[in-house]
Amino acid sequence: MQIRRPAAIAFAAGLIAIAGGTAGLLLTHHSTPALRPVAAGVGALPAPAGPIVAPPQSAEPAPVAAPASLTIPLIGVKTNLITLGLAAGGAMQVPSTVSVAGWYTGSPRPGSIGSAIIVGHVDSAQARGVFFRLNTLKVGDDAFVKRADGTTVEFRVTKVQEYLKDDFPTQDVYGPTPDAELRLITCGGAFDPATGHYLSNIVVYATQVK
Amino acid sequence: MLVAASALLIGMPAAAASAASAATAGTGWIRLAHLSPNTPPVDVYLYSFGDSNAQIVLHHVAYGTVSPYEAVAAGDYSVAMRSAGAAASSQPVLSTSVTVKADHAYTVAGMGPESGLRLQVLNDQLTTPSGKSSVRVIQASLKQQTVKFTCGGQAIVPKATFASVSSYQAIPANTWTMEAIGSSSKATARYNMGAGTVHTMVVLDGANGLEIVNLVDAAGAGKPPAGGVTTGFGGTAGHGPGSPLPWLAVVGAGGLIALAGGYRLRRSSLRRQLNTGV
Repeated sequence: MQIRRPAAIAFAAGLIAIAGGTAGLLLTHHSTPALRPVAAGVGALPAPAGPIVAPPQSAEPAPVAAPASLTIPLIGVKTNLITLGLAAGGAMQVPSTVSVAGWYTGSPRPGSIGSAIIVGHVDSAQARGVFFRLNTLKVGDDAFVKRADGTTVEFRVTKVQEYLKDDFPTQDVYGPTPDAELRLITCGGAFDPATGHYLSNIVVYATQVK
Repeated sequence: MLVAASALLIGMPAAAASAASAATAGTGWIRLAHLSPNTPPVDVYLYSFGDSNAQIVLHHVAYGTVSPYEAVAAGDYSVAMRSAGAAASSQPVLSTSVTVKADHAYTVAGMGPESGLRLQVLNDQLTTPSGKSSVRVIQASLKQQTVKFTCGGQAIVPKATFASVSSYQAIPANTWTMEAIGSSSKATARYNMGAGTVHTMVVLDGANGLEIVNLVDAAGAGKPPAGGVTTGFGGTAGHGPGSPLPWLAVVGAGGLIALAGGYRLRRSSLRRQLNTGV
């Protein structure tokens, strides 16, 4: 009786390859990991003490002091604000450390008419950043900006959006508004290991309340 | 019966449509102003169309007062003016309707002399050409019927008549001297007109001649950044799935080899059967 040894070996090897390949596929291609904890209220902080100022008047609005710190009680954010300008190429500068947020000096001061822009990192290559939980904010949540003169401005979230950086709505985010608003920006969405960057931005829209 | 039923049928989709549009319509802004020099103070009411409870009430609004913008859901509204202190249920002196579109801003102003008082709805501009400021002029002085309005010595509105509203004009961003020049009075003020800001200059009868009030209609980043921001380095991104292609290739190659091997095995066993004559 003739046994076709090479054919049998090939058949077995093929089956092993199928099993191994399938196992590899299943083991490594798990579903996209949940990037941020969704536990809202974790590490919640009290609202800052001190007087909260009224929104600006349309008529002869008074100049306001520069922003000093940002508190978002629900997601445990309490950070000093550094100042940011534009980088070469016209994109926004970002803080050099991930533990602090910054206010873009080309935008209105928080609590004056227009959209004040505050930017922070979601993470570094090793650790969480100041805006790690920014995308868990919901409509109606509060953010407080304390200014250099000790006054506090209270903002309420009106919208939370994720935009692909390739399709960033500059006008919606940075454009003029008739009331005092705030934009909090960080990274989000899928991470591209090839470039070392996230593909999207998270933008939180908020409006000053009385 | 039939009529009632068909009314119900016709009414239903309309109600569903309006509920859907309310949910997705977004918000706009509205502000209220009293710019009629010889009209006494008024109470101003803003009603969402069809709702008899006012959404906003401003009490004792005197000549020259402009409220801050209020964000409101896009939709139809009516604005009513009553004499200061009049009951909310009393017949208004004046009323008008205004349709607020999402992302648009409006000023509803009482304009003209008391004898010809009217509520005017103005479309306010939010944007201005890149690097510039924009300005318009409302002439609300009754004592100086015609006013020349200048910016840095240039007449931007050469002849503004009482109760007129100019269109917006773009001007270079700068700190400018604004002048309102009437036949027997003038007012001068210096304002910082930053890039990305939109203003309305209101010319009023003050206690001592003309006055200028600077309304900020909108402000934005003077120099908007280009595109999004780079605010993450992936430390918490999870060590991604990587490409499934290599594993798929292994499975595919395995399949081919197994197929080829299996085919040859089957052929050899067939040949064996033929050889043994079974």
